[in-house]
Amino acid sequence: MKGLFKGLGVTLKSLTDKKVTTSYPDVPITMPDRYRGIQHFEPDKCIVCNQCARICPTECITLVGKANPDPEKKGKVIDTYDINFEICILCDLCTEVCPTEAIVMTGNFELASYSRDELFKDLKWLDENNRNVRQDNNNIGAPNAAKGGAK
Amino acid sequence: MGAWLEETLTWGNALLFFLWGVILLAIVLGFVTYAIFFERKVIGWMQYRIGPNRVGPWGLLQSVADIAKLLIKEDTIPRKADRVLFILAPALAYVPAFAVLAVIPYTQNLYFADINVGLLYYVALSGISTIAIVLGGWASNNKYALLGGMRSAAQMISYEVPLVISVVGVIMMSGTLNLRSIADQQGDWFWQWNFIPQIIGFVVFVIAAVSELNRTPFDLPEAESELVAGYHVEYSGFRFAFFMLTEYVYVYAIAALTTVLFLGGWHAPFPFLTWVPGIIWFLLKFSFIVFFLFWIRATLPRIRVDQLMGLGWKVLLPVSILNVFLTAVYLELFVK
Repeated sequence: MKGLFKGLGVTLKSLTDKKVTTSYPDVPITMPDRYRGIQHFEPDKCIVCNQCARICPTECITLVGKANPDPEKKGKVIDTYDINFEICILCDLCTEVCPTEAIVMTGNFELASYSRDELFKDLKWLDENNRNVRQDNNNIGAPNAAKGGAK
Repeated sequence: MGAWLEETLTWGNALLFFLWGVILLAIVLGFVTYAIFFERKVIGWMQYRIGPNRVGPWGLLQSVADIAKLLIKEDTIPRKADRVLFILAPALAYVPAFAVLAVIPYTQNLYFADINVGLLYYVALSGISTIAIVLGGWASNNKYALLGGMRSAAQMISYEVPLVISVVGVIMMSGTLNLRSIADQQGDWFWQWNFIPQIIGFVVFVIAAVSELNRTPFDLPEAESELVAGYHVEYSGFRFAFFMLTEYVYVYAIAALTTVLFLGGWHAPFPFLTWVPGIIWFLLKFSFIVFFLFWIRATLPRIRVDQLMGLGWKVLLPVSILNVFLTAVYLELFVK
C-alpha cells in the first residue's frame, strides 16, 4: 500500500524533471572525440604506403597511386582512394597504422541512403568529409611525440 | 433542457434535442481527441520524455492526425469472422457509452436529462458495453480476441458489483438516485462532500471504476504485451476507432460521475469562492480525475488475472458491503 503512494510520488516528481530526450534530427549530435565515425582522408598527406588497405579486416579500402608529377621529387602520390561502407566496420585500424595521419576518424555517423551504390565513397567525398575530425589520433598506448617518444 | 423534456414531443422539440445531442457529441469528440493527446503528454513527461510535439504547434494536432490515419485505413473483416456481430460490436460498445452522458449534470442548470433513477440508468447502460466487447472478441474468430473478450466479461462483471455497492452509501446519505440532487445536497465546504464521509466507498469506487474502464493496472482485456491487443486485435480503421472512442468516452463519463457523486459536482470547495462559476469547479475536478487516471497508468504495472479476481471478490466486495452497513448504522444512530 505504501509502495503505491511512493510510486505515484515518483511519477509525479518526474513530471517536471528534466527530460532526457534530444531533438536529434533537428539538432545534430556531437559525438565524443574518441568516437570512431566515418573516415576523413587528406590526399596531400598520403604517401601511398598501402598499410591501410593491407590491415583492413574487411578489405573495404582500395587505393591506386601514381608517380609524383613533380619529376624532382621521389615517391608516389595518391590517385584514387575508395572506401566501401557496405562492409567497412569502422574498426579504426586504418587510421591507427597510417604513418602520416592522412586517414583519420571523424565524429560523423550518418550513412543511411536509398541505394547501396551511395555507400561507395571516393577520394573526393572522403576529403570533403572534414567536419568533427578527431583531434587526438594516436592516443592508445602510443608514446607522446612531444615527450620524446618514438613517433 | 429539463423544461423541454416535460413538454409533449413535437417535431420542433425533437430537432432541438437532436441538435443538443450533436453539440454534446462534438464536445465529447473534442474531449477524446485532447484527452488522448494529454495522456500521451503526461505519460511522456512522467517517463522523462517530451511526448508528441511534431504535428502542429506543440504537437496539438497529433491526435487529429492519428484519427485521420485511422479513418482512411482499409476496413478489414476476417473471412471466418461472424460478419454481422463483427460489424455490430463497435456500435453496440459506443452507443451506451454516449447514452450514459445524458444523465450527467454539469451545473445546477446545465444538464440534459433529470431522471430520478439517473445513477441506476448509468450503471445499467454501462453494463451493455461488456456485451459488445465479448461480442467483438467472439465474432473476430481469433484466440487472442476471444481471450480478451472473456477476460473482459469476467472483469467487468466482477467489478460492476463493488462499483454499484460502493455508491449505495452515497445513495443512502442523499436519499435519492437523481444525480442532480446528489450533487446538490453536498455542502459548501469541501469536507462536506461525499468523499470524506464516504471515504471507504470513494476508494472502492475509484478502484472499481478504473477496472471498469479497462485501464492500467486493470487493462487485462487489452494487455498489449500478452494478448496482442485483446478483443480488438482483428479490428482496423473506423471500427477500431469506435472501440477506442468508447474507452475514452467512458473515461469522460466516469470522471464526470465521480465528480458528481463524491467531489461535490459544481460546488466550490469554500463558501467564499462561490463567485467562481460552478462549471469551472466542475471542470477542475473533472480534469483532476482524468489526470489521475493517466497518472496511475504511468505508475502501476498490470496485475495478474487471479490477483484481479481476488481483489474484486475478496477485498472490494466485502469492504463495500461493510461500508453500506457502517453508513446504515451511522444514519440510524446520529441522523434519525
